[in-house]
Amino acid sequence: MDTSPAADPGAAPMDPAAPTILDGWPGGPLGFRQRSIRYHRPRAPFCGRGDCTGCLVRVNGRPNVRACQYRPGPNDRIETENAWPSPRFDLGRIFDLLFPRGIDTTRGLLRPSAARPLYQRVVRRLAGYGRFPTPTVPSPPSAARRLEAEVTIVGAGACGRAVAARLALESPGPTVILDRTDTGPGPAGALRLYRTTAAFLPPPSATRERPFTLWAVGPDGEGLRIDTRHVVVATGGYDANLLFGNGDRPGVLTADGALALAAGADRPPFREAVVVGGGARAAEVIDRWGEWIGAVVAPGSIEPEVVARAAAHAIPLFPRTLLLRARGFGRVTGVDLAGRGSGPTFHRRTDAVILALRRLPNAQLFFQAGARLLWHPRPGGYFPRLTDGGESSIPGLWGVGDVAGDPPEDPIADGVRVAEAILGHRPSGEARPLPRWEPTELEGYVVELAARRRSRGKWVACACEDVLLHEVEEAVRRGYHGIEAVKRYTGLGTGLCQGRYCLPDALLWLSVLEHRPVPEIGYITQRPPVVPTPLGAWAGLPEPEEESS
Amino acid sequence: MTGPRQTDYRVAIVGGGVIGLYTAYRLARAGAGRIVVLDRGSYLSNGASGRNGGGVRQQWETPETIRLAREAVEAYRRFGSEFGVNPWFRQSGYLFLADSPAEVERLQAVHRTVTQEGLPSQWLTPERVARLVPGLSTTGILGASYLESDGTLYPFPVVWGLFEAVQNLGVEVCLGTEVYRIAARDDRRLSVDGAHGRLDADIVVNAAGGWSSEVARRAGVDLPTRPVRHEICATEPLKPFLDPMVVRASDGLYFSQTMRGELVGGISVPHPEGLGPGMTTSAGFLVRYARAVLGLYPALRDLRVLRAWSGYYDESPDGLPILGADPSLPGLVHAAGFGGHGFMLAPAIGRLVAAAALGERTAELAPFAPGRFANPSAPVRNREKLSLG
Repeated sequence: MDTSPAADPGAAPMDPAAPTILDGWPGGPLGFRQRSIRYHRPRAPFCGRGDCTGCLVRVNGRPNVRACQYRPGPNDRIETENAWPSPRFDLGRIFDLLFPRGIDTTRGLLRPSAARPLYQRVVRRLAGYGRFPTPTVPSPPSAARRLEAEVTIVGAGACGRAVAARLALESPGPTVILDRTDTGPGPAGALRLYRTTAAFLPPPSATRERPFTLWAVGPDGEGLRIDTRHVVVATGGYDANLLFGNGDRPGVLTADGALALAAGADRPPFREAVVVGGGARAAEVIDRWGEWIGAVVAPGSIEPEVVARAAAHAIPLFPRTLLLRARGFGRVTGVDLAGRGSGPTFHRRTDAVILALRRLPNAQLFFQAGARLLWHPRPGGYFPRLTDGGESSIPGLWGVGDVAGDPPEDPIADGVRVAEAILGHRPSGEARPLPRWEPTELEGYVVELAARRRSRGKWVACACEDVLLHEVEEAVRRGYHGIEAVKRYTGLGTGLCQGRYCLPDALLWLSVLEHRPVPEIGYITQRPPVVPTPLGAWAGLPEPEEESS
Repeated sequence: MTGPRQTDYRVAIVGGGVIGLYTAYRLARAGAGRIVVLDRGSYLSNGASGRNGGGVRQQWETPETIRLAREAVEAYRRFGSEFGVNPWFRQSGYLFLADSPAEVERLQAVHRTVTQEGLPSQWLTPERVARLVPGLSTTGILGASYLESDGTLYPFPVVWGLFEAVQNLGVEVCLGTEVYRIAARDDRRLSVDGAHGRLDADIVVNAAGGWSSEVARRAGVDLPTRPVRHEICATEPLKPFLDPMVVRASDGLYFSQTMRGELVGGISVPHPEGLGPGMTTSAGFLVRYARAVLGLYPALRDLRVLRAWSGYYDESPDGLPILGADPSLPGLVHAAGFGGHGFMLAPAIGRLVAAAALGERTAELAPFAPGRFANPSAPVRNREKLSLG
């Protein structure tokens, strides 16, 4: 076990410009097809950041590899999964077509009782994406590492780097900065660990000199343990989902996906997209792909910055509009929209829907460590409660940048501010106030959407596990209230994306269905790990000398 | 959360897990009168009933437990027809691996006892183990005890089915209602104080799982059960590759593949006894579990853990449940000490506890009597040690 901070596997990161599997896919990244877990619905890349289940492939006999993240070599063997004869023409789709309301695995498939063994075989076959691993290339030996640090920064974006750079001026002790991507050269003075993902941050142990232990996974699947006095969470945000009919169709993707999937290309993977959202994130998407945007649709009002950009490209605007349903048997061919306040339904042709309306924090480490989080009604998500200096309710656990709330005006200044609080140059300060809970535009939107929802097309509340919205409604109707109960009743939130793309919407819908504010709906326990973590990574680590309970 | 509608009940059941609900169901079916179930959790299955690995087996060291387990297996086979909710009980066997001569001796004794009870238990050579579970490394495996009619189920639907059935029978199930104090009234009835206020009952059933000794303490009596935290985890779902539940009793490793394709399993980690800081998980568990699984199943190296959680085993001194009337507080009936296998036995336990609550004397209850630990000079022998998986 290497405990010296000198070894730096992240110093020479894999070439970030090398194409991913999707970059080279025939027909572009959105031409890739994946099949969903239960109904074999067609799916395509959605998040572009390695979290969703829209681009799973089998690489060298290893199942469920994200094609959007994997940069293949010439000898890699890449196969599709969960489809026969191919993801494009998959016979399993028959389950989607035969059961427009889904298959009720809780109360159905009981009669005749003689058929139960058959039902069991069929349902079992439908479960799972990939097959049992049969690695054709041996995994590299995964030597676990153990590091000790004064400050560990999770996330090497602008804010995280600024924290590291400011700390380096005074070298308070070893600083480690890690990032799950291949983000280029890092700040001087910090040990850089790239393609390294934070997996588990248990609550700190007050009796130890370095109270926090952060468990992570390195580029070769090796486990990593970092004992540290401070943890700075600079994990940023992600673009959340918005639930609508057939909203899981290929061509529906997040702003993250729209920006990442064709990052280096000179044209996007669509001809004419509808952007959903009227704020800063929608403006970013228009800045990048304005020429290929056919409309901007927003649940609420549209901000001036978006109006100005849309005018430059002559993009029509649809403020206060409901997104009802995607059309298309495979890839999306259009969307049904309706003006809010019982406006008429109308149709708009498009080959992509870009969700750019809610940016939510990657706040899982705060949940795991037991820090206090608050429901922020405007974006509709849980945010860590931080002080002016960026400290959470747990001393030594800090947040900076998008993870703390709205994108900072000046990420460098934000990072410096938190670094100086860590160094003790400025007081950590009082807790910043968050708005009190009140019904917002987004919740009013869901109320109207619920009233105008038609059953044509599946409303997929959780894409990883193919949980349908009416299953959520049935759970509530039967008396299973709150997100914890509904999660167990439906399986919502238990898939590979770890609930990132279904929970925020589920909370809003449950709030509407149960007629009570979101904070009363609760939140599911964020179970470790943050991201799916290989057994091999854990097995390589020495057993901790003490219990981290 | 709605509290009890009345203040006067025939039976109040503390704990709305599978044991409490099965007991309520049996009592209601027997026409026992007004019944209320009080659970401290804010949602159903927040205790061990929603935190277990779903194993249901009939391989045990003691004939008493084997008989309860056989009854439970029959009940779970019928569960879908009886309750209209599908628990996906899949009878594809339980495989107990022996990795030392001592384990061979112990598991062969289990195999003999199970066979004597009339079940078709098999003793498998390592070669047959390898055929049953392709990919499993049999290095160091000396043999295995296997019973095909054991199986796994999905625990939640069992709780939902019971929850709905008892409510249809008029039982009130109150969530978020922790019990603070249970006391004898002058008229030999019991009063129950809690988050709901106060209610009176002829009989109070302690079916609080890991909290059973705490609930007993709140009734002013001693119950020699102790909560022990156990951890468990689930991986990403794969297509079916593993049929039986695999258990290695020497280190408490167990895993099975659920109907959803996830590999769900755990391993014993020495945790301090007691309710401690709560149902949390540790990296130490994941390290130990991953090492043990990969030692047996090297091909799973890249299989990714999705989530880990924990719950309490409620351990009794001799490994057998504690069922029946408390010797010191009339009206208090215990259903406790299941040692991590309450779910496996619940249908039979519900029947026995309902009988005990109604004052029926049955010889079946004798081995489980709460009074069996009353004599401090009599050494307690752990009779049922096969408490994992």
